[in-house]
Amino acid sequence: MSTAPTKSALLQGFTRPWIWAWLAAALAFAATLGLTSGRGAGELAYAALSFGAFAAIVGMGQMLVITLGPGNVDLSIPATMTLAATLALKTMGSDPGTAMLGLAVALAVGLAVGLANFALIYLLRLPPIIATLAASLVYQSVAIWSNRGLRIKPPEGLADFATGRFLGLPNVAWVGLALAIAVWVVLERSVWGRWLLASGQNLRAARLAGVPVEAVRAATYVAVAVMAALAGYLLASFSGGAALNMGGEYLLMSIAVVVIGGSSIAGGNSNVPGVWGAALFMFLVVSTLNSYGAGAGVRNLLTGAIIIAIVIAASTRRVRR
Amino acid sequence: MTISRKMLGAAAIAMTATAGYAASHLGDTSDKRIALSNNYAGNSWRQAMLQTFEDVAGAAAEAGVVAAADAFTTSENQATEQAAQIQNMILQGYDAIVLNAASPTALNGAVREACDAGITVVSFDGVVTEPCAWRIAVDFRQMGREQVEYLASRLPDGGNLLEIRGLAGVFVDDEIHAGIAAGVEDNPQFEIVGSVHGDWAQDVAQKAVAGILPSLPEIAGVVTQGGDGYGAAQAFRAAGRDMPIIVLGNRQDEMAWWAEQRDANGYETLSLSIAPGVASLAFWVAQQVLAGEEVPKDLTVPFLTVTQDNLDEVLASTPEGSVANVSYSLEDAQAVIAEAK
Repeated sequence: MSTAPTKSALLQGFTRPWIWAWLAAALAFAATLGLTSGRGAGELAYAALSFGAFAAIVGMGQMLVITLGPGNVDLSIPATMTLAATLALKTMGSDPGTAMLGLAVALAVGLAVGLANFALIYLLRLPPIIATLAASLVYQSVAIWSNRGLRIKPPEGLADFATGRFLGLPNVAWVGLALAIAVWVVLERSVWGRWLLASGQNLRAARLAGVPVEAVRAATYVAVAVMAALAGYLLASFSGGAALNMGGEYLLMSIAVVVIGGSSIAGGNSNVPGVWGAALFMFLVVSTLNSYGAGAGVRNLLTGAIIIAIVIAASTRRVRR
Repeated sequence: MTISRKMLGAAAIAMTATAGYAASHLGDTSDKRIALSNNYAGNSWRQAMLQTFEDVAGAAAEAGVVAAADAFTTSENQATEQAAQIQNMILQGYDAIVLNAASPTALNGAVREACDAGITVVSFDGVVTEPCAWRIAVDFRQMGREQVEYLASRLPDGGNLLEIRGLAGVFVDDEIHAGIAAGVEDNPQFEIVGSVHGDWAQDVAQKAVAGILPSLPEIAGVVTQGGDGYGAAQAFRAAGRDMPIIVLGNRQDEMAWWAEQRDANGYETLSLSIAPGVASLAFWVAQQVLAGEEVPKDLTVPFLTVTQDNLDEVLASTPEGSVANVSYSLEDAQAVIAEAK
């Protein structure tokens, strides 16, 4: 894609679909600070980065799946988070020095879940929505069965890491940032990323062009599950233990941040910076409306309306390639 | 109905069941089958509830007090799904259904069908409004009011309160909120300066509180609905704020945190919630109805309060990561029934 030097940098900026999510996040941030006349800016930004990181990590996973094209979505994210976190924390059992072991367990759960999801989709030819939704009931049940909902504390060192900071930014945000860079490089600079975009734009054409589309799909479903597992592991360490309902709000959240971030819901077009902007926005908009004392009804109504507005703004200005 | 009863273990519960059978001079229920219809299993409270039902009702079935006591949970927490489940129970010929309902009104049709088929329906926690069913309700309003009254006793000068609500649109959330609002009206020295929805989950509450804290003035107390206190405490700590008096909801991690704070700096608070063992109370009420006992349709279950004095005792008897619980016996059920008469 060649950039036209005649366009001003500002105008160029507005043609990027991810700018709208960041603008909305900045507006929500400013609106909250307007209420406090600037007090608590650092606190709010820090909280947004901490909690936004979890939404960004699962959102990037969901983005990869949605990029695969129409009908591709992973609805097992909440159950995967719960299962990975439950098994990891049970394995660690609050013992010091077991953080890496727990991480390995969580990632292994992600790997197994991803392969299982893809097996249902590929071998049984189930639509991904049905396959991942049905499988998520199994994962949730395994999580319930394995620990009956008991909340085990993470080892102290791990809890300190998850709630700690480095260079003023939350550690979980650093993890989310590193992951974002990795995903961006893979999507934009690797053959696999090109294959993924090609499969999403036209599966048949991609297959005829020699893209190993089933391998790409398999890798994508594994990637989303591994990212969900990582998010679950971090969230449980952050909030003091795994709970059976911990992943609940990340089902719609993961899809919302993809759409608000400017990725195409029809697939074939993904947008990493937009996911982060949308993740921050989703946290900030709730905080803002809470700060202004909006009730639950008004809050949901306004959140919905704002999301629709951003999606319209981002999609009508989308750059034509 | 003391905490210590919880510690007696499954063997003791079995003995209580047998003893209870002997004490019950009414009709024989040994050929009756009781089913539990439960709408949700996805949190520690519900897991403890199912465990207690299994322990108490299972022991009663083994002892021959009833022929069977089976627990069923729907997977999607939907009223339609639970209505279908109740219809299946009617077809399977159960004599009584113990019900924790997904909706106070949406199941009325199915409950009516069950009553018409001669089945005793005892709803608890999530009660139904259908008149033919029994209701073991919790006075959620009182639960909200009591929190504000406790804070008033601790903070005579009043102050700013943060309210953490439950799941928006759910009956229980509205009731506890109404109780808190009434309490604040009676105690005008308090002002609710912020309100968030924590969905009865620690991580959601933590996130919501962290988001609203920067815009809030000094907070003196936090009123909650249970399952959200520890998350609120984490958010206050992360923001470097002074720890307010957070009213807790009997979760083990909350109480462990409370004990830790008490030992470190003399932190004092109150914890109250409904014991998940209310399922065992509902079981015995159903058994009593089947036995021919006259039982009023509306019963009230007391909530379980943990204070500074019995914190250590309750904490010791609560499994790690679970919620404070009591198992109700037949005598407890008879006492509740007698009180309502």
